[in-house]
Amino acid sequence: MPLLEVKNLTIYFGGLRAVHNYNVTFEPGQVRGLIGPNGAGKTTTFNMITGIHRPTSGEIIFEGQNIVGMMPHDIASMGIARTFQNMRLWRHMTVMEHIKLAMYSKIEYGLIGAFFGTPKRHKQETEFDEKAYHFLKLLNVDRYTNQVVTGLPYGVQRRVEMARALAIVPKILLLDEPTAGMNPEEMLDMVEVIRQIKDELKLTIFLIEHRMRVVMDLCEIIQTLDFGEIIAEGTPDEIRNNERVIEAYLGKEVEV
Amino acid sequence: MKATDNQIKNLERVEKKTTGIRPVRWLREKTRRVPALGWLLGALTATIIESSVGLPLARAFGLWSVPGLFGLRFIFTSPASIPSAVIYVLVVYIIPALIVAVSTAGITNRAAAFMQDKLPVPINVIIHAALLYATLHVWGSITDYRVLLLSFIFISIMLTLSLNLVNGYMGEFSCSHPGFMSIGAYAASIMTVLFFVNDDVFGAHILSPVLGPFIFPIILIVGGFITSIGALAVAIPSFRTRGDYLAIISLAFTFIVKSLLENLEIIGGPRGFMNQPKYASLPVIFVWMVLCIWTIYNFTRSTLGKASCAVRDNETGADAMTINTRRTKMITFLFAAFWAGVAGGLFAHVMGYINPATFGVLKLSEVLAMVYLGGLNSVLGSIAGAIGLQFLLELLRPLAMLKWIVIPVLLIIVMIRRPTGLIAFTEIKVEDILKPRN
Amino acid sequence: MSLNAFLQNLANALQWGSFYALIALGYSMVYGILMLFNFAHGDIFMVGAYIGLFVSTSLVTLSATGILPMAGWLILVLTIFISMFLTSFVGMAVERVAYRPLRAAPRASAAITGLMVGIILETGNLALLGAQRRKFPEIIAQSTFHIGQVVVTNTKILIIILSILLMIALHQFIRRTRWGMAMRAMAYDFVVVPLMGVSINRIAAMTFAIGSALAAAAGIFFGIAYPVLEPYMGLLIGWKAFVAAILGGRGSIVGAALAGFLLGFIEIFVAAIFPSTLRDLIAYSIILIILTIRPHGFFGEAYSARLRL
Repeated sequence: MPLLEVKNLTIYFGGLRAVHNYNVTFEPGQVRGLIGPNGAGKTTTFNMITGIHRPTSGEIIFEGQNIVGMMPHDIASMGIARTFQNMRLWRHMTVMEHIKLAMYSKIEYGLIGAFFGTPKRHKQETEFDEKAYHFLKLLNVDRYTNQVVTGLPYGVQRRVEMARALAIVPKILLLDEPTAGMNPEEMLDMVEVIRQIKDELKLTIFLIEHRMRVVMDLCEIIQTLDFGEIIAEGTPDEIRNNERVIEAYLGKEVEV
Repeated sequence: MKATDNQIKNLERVEKKTTGIRPVRWLREKTRRVPALGWLLGALTATIIESSVGLPLARAFGLWSVPGLFGLRFIFTSPASIPSAVIYVLVVYIIPALIVAVSTAGITNRAAAFMQDKLPVPINVIIHAALLYATLHVWGSITDYRVLLLSFIFISIMLTLSLNLVNGYMGEFSCSHPGFMSIGAYAASIMTVLFFVNDDVFGAHILSPVLGPFIFPIILIVGGFITSIGALAVAIPSFRTRGDYLAIISLAFTFIVKSLLENLEIIGGPRGFMNQPKYASLPVIFVWMVLCIWTIYNFTRSTLGKASCAVRDNETGADAMTINTRRTKMITFLFAAFWAGVAGGLFAHVMGYINPATFGVLKLSEVLAMVYLGGLNSVLGSIAGAIGLQFLLELLRPLAMLKWIVIPVLLIIVMIRRPTGLIAFTEIKVEDILKPRN
Repeated sequence: MSLNAFLQNLANALQWGSFYALIALGYSMVYGILMLFNFAHGDIFMVGAYIGLFVSTSLVTLSATGILPMAGWLILVLTIFISMFLTSFVGMAVERVAYRPLRAAPRASAAITGLMVGIILETGNLALLGAQRRKFPEIIAQSTFHIGQVVVTNTKILIIILSILLMIALHQFIRRTRWGMAMRAMAYDFVVVPLMGVSINRIAAMTFAIGSALAAAAGIFFGIAYPVLEPYMGLLIGWKAFVAAILGGRGSIVGAALAGFLLGFIEIFVAAIFPSTLRDLIAYSIILIILTIRPHGFFGEAYSARLRL
């Protein structure tokens, strides 16, 4: 059974058709890329899968269950984690708090625990601490544990965001332009991080990326979206040489 | 970046220490080693001294009675008494407290260390709270005025903290606190009067008045829950959409509740509701306040509670990270409403009389001022804000009406300097306050 | 309710609603353009009324003592213009003191400073003028008209017409002038305005000035219709007008005016049918229901900003 299956996904904003008949199927462990020019509907596709937008029509089947219409936090708890183009970190919170909050759905101590600080709560919070520290170590940001995220270097913030998404213990990780706004050095760093996650955690990854080099490096299969429709799908080599893709990008970035 | 800032601050501190004047340096060195327990002991000694020999001492220094608020009000009423008041405060409070605190530092540090290691945190907190209460009780035993002042301060702390949950931790702007307070006040009042008082409207008492003080906590809790249910009227429409929604709905709510109370003749209408037995004595309010601080402190430190801060900082991000945003907002808001309701119930039973006009825009301004003066997103800030403003109100009482110019001006200055309040976004662990310091 | 009674109440409601509408416009402009809650606006209305009181009293005295004889209508027109002019400076001062220093701060903090400025204005008035109520002078002689069996005073008609004229003037200003355009641009996007070469501070000052001038007009009209002024008059009317402004929709001039009139209608007709003590209760409940059904008010667009920390 495929892990995630998206069938004929379509969404209209007002009269505007943002995504049309989008299909994708994920086998466990697969790493796929989604590319396309600005405004092609990549992030919208992510938003539909994670429940932020409700598709006009189509199905999103995750582990055999249709998740269309479910709340974003429920979808996330099922194991679909994502990162955002603009990160959406919580600016007053520390790095540690970020990671722990992603474990929200696993809280068992309830309101009584929250109000009165029961032993059960302390046990679970300590557990969270340990788990969170593990993720921070994994992404090599453990030395920032108790710092507020605002003011941390950009690359570190990106890693924190990634750690936060991993803390959900997802089955599939959706990465929305993880190298946006990075300089080449930071970018290479990020590619390593993603590769590491892929290898160590055997995660299924869905990657939106602007930079061809990153996608080509990481993904097994790449889809190209233009004006909300898939115009090409294939291995990096196939995509590289696809004429419609080159056309869509006006041959700008592809030569990289 | 923060770390380096702190380092710089520490460096400066070290420098100051070495360059300070000698006696000051000596004193700072000594007092640095005094744990919270020692300070409490010192304060208790000072208040005991005042309660036993305060009056003769005051007379000896040329004052005609014990100064109510450390003589601070003499600034406005009789500046000539200021020197006497300063001497009085030094002799009665500062010197004895310092001597006791510093001289017992060895013992208190050992005791604090013992309590920290051997006792669970709540027990440790209770011991300290008991000592604090003893101090305040002795301090209050001099005049009824002090008891009333303390009662209002305690209630204000509860209100401020609970409003901070919504305006600070949740980042919405709520104007419904006077409404919540009045619901709690009226609900509790109706219950106590119905059960324990012979009243013209509600008839003879149903239960023996002897039981009253023991049932009172239950009544307060029920009143708190009724307030939470009432808060649903604000929460359900407000949390459906985003925007400045809560601010307006909650404001309308406050006016609706006030108007409703004014129109209910059975509870006195605009004339108010009286005959409440005065169950809310100082220790009772203190216990409730400690409970309020403790639960809110716990809540805001739990991942469950911090979820509301995540919703505040970025709602979409929170939602994508498995946080049930709507539920989080509901919990925080209803929790805040509960404590506002309990505070209202206590308020009614301090005064023995309430009327709807109390719970209007002025009350709102007062509570908002305390929250924003003290600082958003900080338990310590709220406590400081409530005490600070209440104290300021008392201190400036001789100015009469003009205090309503002085206080707003002060608050505007604070807002311009520190837009989120004086102690905003700082959290101190209770363990750090209570820990030994050697 | 008979037709006559209805028409009678309608006239009252139009007058009562015009106060709300004029004040609501000030709230709505500040909220729409600067995204701020100007909690001091109700008190600016009060200050406007008092300025109107002093201006009109001096003019009436000047005229009566024969130093400068003037017709009643001239005094009225002068009072309105001078008071609006003076009050606009109060508004700008409030903006300068309580809002401008907090432009970069969270909006909630600005709401608090606004609230505090309101308290200062009330108390300042109380301290300067004492607690006694002041009587607004009769500028033009009252006369009554009978339209069918409905009785209307000349002042009532005047107030309604002048209010509507002011609202039309504001609307035209916002629609047609360069300044109005800059204001609309700012309501749309805070960031782009400075790029257009328009200073945010200028626009903010202007917004406050216009809003306050309208509040002053409302204050004078209020003084003419109900000639007793007291320092806390802004509280009662101001907070309701604030809610009306929100009801109209963010930044919608027409919406705020309509919501103001609607509030007037609700209050007058509630008072005509039910005991008048129920007025606030029913008025606010209706507002709450409308806001529950239409979260963004009558003409508001969906907005997602909120009082951020």
